[in-house]
Amino acid sequence: MAIIEVKHFNKSFDGHAVHKDVSFRVEKGECLGLVGGSGIGKSVVLRSLIGLEKPTSGEIWIEGEEISKLKERDLTAIRKKVAYVFQNGALFDSMSVYDNLAYPLREHTAFNEDEIQTRIHDQLEEFGLLEAEGKLPAELSGGMQKRVGLARAMMIGPKVILYDEPTAGLDPYNTLKIRETVLRLKKKGVTSVFVTHDMPTAIAVCDRFVMLGEGRVLDERRADELSRKDPGPLERFITGDYGGY
Amino acid sequence: MKAAQLDFLKLFGGTTILSKQVVSELFRRPLYFRLIVEQIYQIGIRSLPLVIVTAGSTGMVMALQFGLGLEKFGGKLYIPKIVSLSIVREMGPVFTCLVLAARIGAGITSEIGSMTVTQQIDAIRALGTSPIKRIVIPRVIGALIAIPILSIAANFVGILGALLVGANDLGLDPVFFVQKVLTTVWVPDFLAGFFKTPVFAGIIAIVGCYFGLTVKGGTKGVGSATRQSVVTSSICILVGDYFLTKFFWIFEQWL
Repeated sequence: MAIIEVKHFNKSFDGHAVHKDVSFRVEKGECLGLVGGSGIGKSVVLRSLIGLEKPTSGEIWIEGEEISKLKERDLTAIRKKVAYVFQNGALFDSMSVYDNLAYPLREHTAFNEDEIQTRIHDQLEEFGLLEAEGKLPAELSGGMQKRVGLARAMMIGPKVILYDEPTAGLDPYNTLKIRETVLRLKKKGVTSVFVTHDMPTAIAVCDRFVMLGEGRVLDERRADELSRKDPGPLERFITGDYGGY
Repeated sequence: MKAAQLDFLKLFGGTTILSKQVVSELFRRPLYFRLIVEQIYQIGIRSLPLVIVTAGSTGMVMALQFGLGLEKFGGKLYIPKIVSLSIVREMGPVFTCLVLAARIGAGITSEIGSMTVTQQIDAIRALGTSPIKRIVIPRVIGALIAIPILSIAANFVGILGALLVGANDLGLDPVFFVQKVLTTVWVPDFLAGFFKTPVFAGIIAIVGCYFGLTVKGGTKGVGSATRQSVVTSSICILVGDYFLTKFFWIFEQWL
């Protein structure tokens, strides 16, 4: 059963069409890799899946609910189910790591401060971030900021996680840490959409790929169908023979 | 249509929509009292020294200027009347709000603008919460509470500054000065100035938030939005002051 379904997605900015007709679906528990050249609008699609952007036309269905025409207020229920991991973490810079993680719990749950503290402690331990608890985001490395962003997104147990280039600009150690975290969440049955240019990580975590280009889906393939013998646009993009523009 | 006209329409439309969102979300839970108190402190308490210096200096300069001018015609005794009325009806509220448009307006726009370009506003939305409730409403309420109180403080400090100059430099008896102020300034005079301040406070907060939320172009965009926010608020305060003064004038005539 598809947990996410995008139908004839069209998005224009100032009259310039970025996406003309994009359709794809994501099955429950699946990790979908959304790939394509730089600037073709992968993040625009990802942002639209949580209502941060509105499509010019087309439909976006999340768990059987069409969200593209929902008002901001009505998107709250969707945003509790679908978490977004921002490229730079997007941590609240005036709050400590602890308060960043406490934010979704204080907003959406009835936990008291003791329960919140326990849950944050468990989450920090799971993400290897215990030493960062009292620090401000500015005091953390880029890799740690991304991991805190991921930990924050997971605080209220979403069903779907949208990753926007989670490994961009990271060293191999932090890339591996993020990769392990994504795989761990996948094992727990969390559905994910993974936007990245980091192909080794994408191949390691994704079950299926959708390649965007020229405002549409250029190629769509399961990870185990990727072939070196008969390469399509997706394989050629992965090997660097094709820019996807 | 020219670019300037389009910009004006965008600004007018954008601030109107933002104001409507503030009103419609104001009565929905949750209301972040801690954030509102924090903003009252930021806007009110932290602006107090600036307001005291500005108002005190304005009162002192006005007393000196009127004193030098009126002395030639033997009209020095009218200084308490003229200065106190000018401060209470105009200079107190307008000067305070102009100074706060620079301090508070710039602060609001740069802070929210930085949050916008670093995707923190998007993060607030993505985490299922409303930037209007968490960011805009506390600043609007904070400004609506703090700025009128600051303008009352500015009135007192301004008149006190004029009293000091009157007593020390112009040879006026302080008791006479205070008596004249008390018999000149009546409640309608005070209210005519005071009622302008919530309007100016709303302008400062809404315009500051609007420019912060619509920042584009990274840190350079934040600088540009901050400048535009201060200029726009200041112009709106000055132009708005004319219409409000006229409105209160007609209202007083009608009474």
